[in-house]
Amino acid sequence: MRPADVPTLVAGLAVAALGALLLADDLGGLDLRFGLLAPACLAAVGAILLASGLSRRP
Amino acid sequence: MQPDDQQPANEHPPPDATPPREDQTTRQSAPPRRLYRSRGNRVIGGVAGGLAEYFGIDPIIPRLAFVGLVFAGGAGVLLYVAALLLVPDEADGAAAAPVTPRRTAMIAGVVVLFAAAAILFNGSWWAGGGAVPWILGLGLLGVAAWWISTGQSAAGSGAEVARRIGIGLALVALCVLLAAAAFWASAAGGGAVVAAIVVAAGLAMVAASFAGGARWLILPALAVALPAAFVAAAGIDVHGGMGERTYRPAAAAQVRDRYELGMGQLVVDLRHAALPPGDHRMSLRLGAGDAVVVVPDDVCVASTAKVGAGEVQLFDRHEGGVDLDFDERPIVAPSRTRLLVDADLGVGTLQFRHDWPAHPGPGWWDNWGDPTGSNAACRSLA
Repeated sequence: MRPADVPTLVAGLAVAALGALLLADDLGGLDLRFGLLAPACLAAVGAILLASGLSRRP
Repeated sequence: MQPDDQQPANEHPPPDATPPREDQTTRQSAPPRRLYRSRGNRVIGGVAGGLAEYFGIDPIIPRLAFVGLVFAGGAGVLLYVAALLLVPDEADGAAAAPVTPRRTAMIAGVVVLFAAAAILFNGSWWAGGGAVPWILGLGLLGVAAWWISTGQSAAGSGAEVARRIGIGLALVALCVLLAAAAFWASAAGGGAVVAAIVVAAGLAMVAASFAGGARWLILPALAVALPAAFVAAAGIDVHGGMGERTYRPAAAAQVRDRYELGMGQLVVDLRHAALPPGDHRMSLRLGAGDAVVVVPDDVCVASTAKVGAGEVQLFDRHEGGVDLDFDERPIVAPSRTRLLVDADLGVGTLQFRHDWPAHPGPGWWDNWGDPTGSNAACRSLA
């Protein structure tokens, strides 16, 4: 199996997780506020940057 | 660093050596020195270490220079970040562009021009108000966008750097458009659709990561997800419309139970409403902007407010921040007038005040920004 491109994989998982949070908020299952969402967004962006920085360049 | 990098650039041949023919000189000359971010002499990104190795000086000198420039309007940080993005890492030396005298002169010219601009702008790179910080910031933005989208440094020849920065800026422009669309769609009630698109984009990226990767999708996906997240956290809803709305009820019967605006300025002036004694309930809904409630001096105000991000100013009491739950419910005698306001504000300011200009002119906010007076009607009657 072809090895995954780590930055794309991490970014995909982070974006999907953010989308799931937004969906849960919109459907009423969760009350998103800045106290939760700000660290979630920062963690997602940080993970993407970290994965991009640590991965080998194509 | 390659061993031949340690050789002086202008080494002269011994006097008794036979002068080589011109074609031999061309073939046998050492490759030009290259500027790298050092691997062996690295504290943060190896920029200062690389400069020290390039010029053959102690690395503490460029480090001190960078630290010193931090206090020159933040120029040190800006230059370091620029070098971090533009100068290739030592491990990637094979792909690096050689530092030729022409290129060195070009870099030096740019640095001198920026230094001149910095002096013109009182030594500040940020607060100069001119085009220099914007141009520099846009260039860095383009470089960062290129790096995130391709995983490659923007370093190369001048034309190649310009092309990559241009592609990066085009991607940034696309992301700005996507962000605006996502913001508006989420605030207009399409949050579920936007969230579903974000999930789909994330899953598509996961799938694409096993098929060679699709890094160019990272920025557009974030451009959709982050504004939608901001709207969700702030609770912004633009259903009430946009613009400036001022309500001045002339009698208590004209006072509504609910005032609503999507984005803009909402003013409810109750000074001429002649509210009778007793409790009067009112709700305010504002997606983003400023809400102002003007009351006469003899009306006691009680309020509970939920604010995503912003400030509540109840006369002389100010509270601000994110996820703000404001609560002030003073008790007064039943024979007195009390206004109970339940407010829900996404982003912005909620003010309760006694004064307000009849016809706000230019610069009115400078004079009428902060409410004065106090909720004295509550205190004197409690």
